[in-house]
Amino acid sequence: MGKLSSPADLEQCRDSLLRAIDPDRTRVRICMTGCRAYGAEEIRDAFSSEVARRGLESKVEIRETGCHGFCARAPVIAIDPSGIFYQQLTPADVPEIVSETIERQKIIERLTYPDPLTDKRIAQTKKIPFYEGQIQNVLKNCGTIDPRSIDQYIANGGYAALAKALHSMNPDEVVEEVKKSGLRGRGGAGFSTGMKWSFARSALGDTKYIICNADEGDPGAFMDRAVLEGDPHSVMEGMLIAAYAIGASAGYVYVRAEYPIAVEHLLIAVEQATNLGLLGPNILGSDFSFDLKIKEGAGAFVCGEETALMASIEGRRGTPRPRPPFPAQAGLWGKPTNINNVETYANVPSIILKGAPWYASMGTESSKGTKIFSLAGKINNTGLVEVPMGTTVREVIYKVGGGIPNNRPFKAVQMGGPSGGCVPAKHLELPIDYGSLESVGAIMGSGGMVVMDTKTCMVDIARFFLSFTQDESCGKCVPCRIGTKRMWEILTRITKGEGREDDIELLQEMGQMIKDASLCGLGQTSPNPVLSTIRHFRNEYDAHILDKHCPAGVCEALTYAPCENTCPCRVDAVGYVSAIAAGRYEEALALTRLNMPLAGVLGRVCNHPCESMCKRGDVDEPIAICSLKRFISDREMKRNKMPPPVFLEKIKQERVAVVGAGPAGLSAAYHLGRRGYQVTIYESLPVAGGMLRVGIPDFRLPAAVVEYDVGFVKQHNVEIQLNKTLGKDFTVEGLLKQGCKAVFLALGAHANQKLNIPGEDAEGVIPGIVYLRKVNLGEQVGRGQKVAVLGGGNVAIDAARTALRLGAKKVTILYRRTKDEMPALPEEIEEAEDEGIHIDYLVAPTRIVTQDGHVKRLECMRMELGDYDESGRRRPVPIKGSEFVVDVDTLIPAIGYMPDLSSLPSNDGFAAGSGNTLQADRVTLATRVPGVFAGGDLVTGPSMVVEAMAQGYRGAVSIDRYLKGKDLYKDRAYQPVLRIDIPKIEMEGELTAAAALRARMPQLGKKRRVRDFGEVNKGFTEKEAMREARRCLRCDLERKGE
Amino acid sequence: MPETIDLARIEPILQRFGKERGALIPVLQEVQGIYGYLPKEALVRVSEAMKTPLSRIYGVVTFYAQFYLTPRGRHTVRVCRGTACHVRGGRSVLNVVKDSLDIEDGETTKDLQFSLETVACLGTCFLAPVMMVDRSYYGKLIPERVPSILEKFGQGGSRG
Repeated sequence: MGKLSSPADLEQCRDSLLRAIDPDRTRVRICMTGCRAYGAEEIRDAFSSEVARRGLESKVEIRETGCHGFCARAPVIAIDPSGIFYQQLTPADVPEIVSETIERQKIIERLTYPDPLTDKRIAQTKKIPFYEGQIQNVLKNCGTIDPRSIDQYIANGGYAALAKALHSMNPDEVVEEVKKSGLRGRGGAGFSTGMKWSFARSALGDTKYIICNADEGDPGAFMDRAVLEGDPHSVMEGMLIAAYAIGASAGYVYVRAEYPIAVEHLLIAVEQATNLGLLGPNILGSDFSFDLKIKEGAGAFVCGEETALMASIEGRRGTPRPRPPFPAQAGLWGKPTNINNVETYANVPSIILKGAPWYASMGTESSKGTKIFSLAGKINNTGLVEVPMGTTVREVIYKVGGGIPNNRPFKAVQMGGPSGGCVPAKHLELPIDYGSLESVGAIMGSGGMVVMDTKTCMVDIARFFLSFTQDESCGKCVPCRIGTKRMWEILTRITKGEGREDDIELLQEMGQMIKDASLCGLGQTSPNPVLSTIRHFRNEYDAHILDKHCPAGVCEALTYAPCENTCPCRVDAVGYVSAIAAGRYEEALALTRLNMPLAGVLGRVCNHPCESMCKRGDVDEPIAICSLKRFISDREMKRNKMPPPVFLEKIKQERVAVVGAGPAGLSAAYHLGRRGYQVTIYESLPVAGGMLRVGIPDFRLPAAVVEYDVGFVKQHNVEIQLNKTLGKDFTVEGLLKQGCKAVFLALGAHANQKLNIPGEDAEGVIPGIVYLRKVNLGEQVGRGQKVAVLGGGNVAIDAARTALRLGAKKVTILYRRTKDEMPALPEEIEEAEDEGIHIDYLVAPTRIVTQDGHVKRLECMRMELGDYDESGRRRPVPIKGSEFVVDVDTLIPAIGYMPDLSSLPSNDGFAAGSGNTLQADRVTLATRVPGVFAGGDLVTGPSMVVEAMAQGYRGAVSIDRYLKGKDLYKDRAYQPVLRIDIPKIEMEGELTAAAALRARMPQLGKKRRVRDFGEVNKGFTEKEAMREARRCLRCDLERKGE
Repeated sequence: MPETIDLARIEPILQRFGKERGALIPVLQEVQGIYGYLPKEALVRVSEAMKTPLSRIYGVVTFYAQFYLTPRGRHTVRVCRGTACHVRGGRSVLNVVKDSLDIEDGETTKDLQFSLETVACLGTCFLAPVMMVDRSYYGKLIPERVPSILEKFGQGGSRG
């Protein structure tokens, strides 16, 4: 083909290219850029040889394309015209694809995309949620055309925008069109592209330059790379249009040297365009001439700053200079210069071709068009996505991005790299545009989104970015060079547990100074990641500085092992698991009891936050830490070998009173008793254990286990007085007067939350916790046949399962949200369903209908999920006209419970907090009454057992300090009593494989278990326990090895 | 380790770029392409030919991370330290590489087999944590896999 010397030539060329395309020919598009790292070359070779072997060359085109975006599923291919998408291929799959899909049109199910939400396989590219949620404007050619073929670019409409600009628009009109489109710079700052062009256009001078900033360096951003690799001509066409608009005749693409494929494809594109006359003199027969050079960077992040970039092109050290003058006045070699980013230029052709109104119809008021985001970090669908501006963070992360691996909670997304900030979970509904991101302390930046979950430490992330900017600071100006270093040092000491109390304020002050005084964007924005994490995650900084605790378990100096670090009671899980692996069961149990005395109880009902952080969970499944604890406790209980008490200090005469024998009170009493105090627990119920004893049914937690663990606590100078009710039988003041030196209040949360609907007081309506308490204490409850339970927590499920065991014919749980929002433990929900309990989701009661004072029917409404509320859950909204009726003879509302403060009147000095809780200091748990401390559900509101026990532990430490006259706040950081040192024992034989999955808990059969209250879970055998314990990766050793 | 530098090899480069403006960095890139690093003798010759003070060339060479003044290992290991790699455990990968090769970031093994670099971001976040050995990517790394990858490229370093 010769040079194209007019728009007509170009159209003719396009027509002949289109005519040459055989519509019946199958096309296999293989990503040869990102997927290369996953073996795309081998797959291409396999296709070539298989197609040749079958003599199908004329029927099948194998096209090497750029990135398809869906990097998480690499290597990927797409097959046209059928639109089939295959993922995670190996060369071995290729012959089957050719024979089945290409020759026989049959879909190979196992190669299609498995939708994690529905577990269904999706064969069509367009139907995959990842693609469905996108509008591909800039990325339209990426993954479609061969980026080394200008023919394919032209056939797909390429260079038509250039022809239109050159022949039917004057430069002013081009500038005006871009202005009207609302396009803003995609490199980060978001300045109006049209405005920038108009400055360069009106600048005086014969020689002007166009530069494309392809020095993409923000960690976590790779859209420019994909565009350059996958569609280089679109960038060049955008540059040509810009050059025409401002009157430039030469230009540069400054591309990072770390992107070899991008450089290669650009060089090919320049050569092809030159051959067709699309670069060079008199382009498409016009007066416009343009030369383009590719400049490779040499590894300096700061060269992404425009003045540094120009210095680098000029062959100098890439240090920035003050602006003004701006590049539009005095840029490259002092001449007016227009610099835009890759994605900005790639947006231009479609704006010129389809017009500014079309472009401006997408996006928000202040931010128009589409934006490419690179999704990385803790997200399922890592890759590149293009969505309209204004799409919410949630849509990008959950819909297109597929959510967080292992369903872990989303914590924040870091946007804008080292210049940006994070968007925390409470802003998931934020529509993404330039302004909204700034309002929460983040920036658009180049569009890198690095997703973080609960395993990411925000202080560590801030330090990471500071070490980055500190490394990349060019050193020219002092605030950036030295300021970032000082900030980095402060962050480093915080992550080492050496942070000082005023460090946060110091960081904020320095950050502001560096922002104000630095020379270029790199310095001015470098404190952002620190300031933004302080803004949204100050509690994490506090935890590092005050508690010497890294909640995410990342900071090495502060983290022994993720399990131990996560446990609210700091039980050394990795320690006792390693002892079990070695068969040292007594030691394992003793280690557990150093921090937490109720091993049998928590071995059954703990919500085990440790397991959610277990590193083995990243490999396959977490260690069954909770059930292992049960094993060592059961073993001791069966052998009746409770060890004698161990005291940490000599026995003292001082008396301490604890009110409430639930988990918080028992824990406080135990830790005080072990420190030598004389402890008396006053309990209003006729049994000890609180909710453990009366709130959880025997089939989950047998009374004998609670009694055994309570017996262990009592050994440590702990006396329990039952049937003693605060306010009735004794008072706090009285306890102090009678010689108790301190009091710990742990009354729990036993008051029921009302439904607030008519008929609530009818006979046959019995609140969940009352129902469970009566059953647990052997009192009579009605033996309902048709039972409905309202609620979605553990109490609701327990009550339903209890009703079933008491002989109910039909038990239904009505819950106003969906299973995903249900607070009950997933295994409990599953067991309940197994037992035949029907759970009706998205239902809310409106009225209780009675007959002769007894509940007869329940009127309900169906709900649907509406907007997200503060807790990040979608609010249920009633559906009009969806009323229906449920026949019931027993109704158990279990929608929530709360503390009862009636025995703690405010005129005694106590103050109520939110949710009817008692106010106590966050750190010390001190109430406003001297010598009186409080913890557990009474203070936190209904929470987990292990949390309540941690509160008891905390209260005991405070009381000990109080009685010893020590400062209650200082140096409270957790110090382990002892660590054990057991070498890792490898699994034997076949079990050494990484595929050795978590042991399953043996259970009673479904039919057998509903007959009585026998415990459902049977516990591990010794063999199972030892095997399970040996699955542990021993994170503690990794740390010790350092 | 004295070594003779054959300066004739860079003459074609110097001639090709001639007096082109801003050619210093591309010239240095090509010179480094020949020797694997930038020997002093070659820089002196570039300085003469381009009529650019050696001090300025030295300034440029030391500014950019990709220029080297000492010989490099046969293979370059680049460990990504980008955000995505960081949140997915890139630090442990780097530690294992350092241990296996017994060198720090920016150093070369004594047998000149490997040089180790850290890179701000390789732009392959979907592979996180990732490292490159020469032009090959190794993604979704777990520390345990690292030694066997390095072994493919030569002696596993001085430590076992």
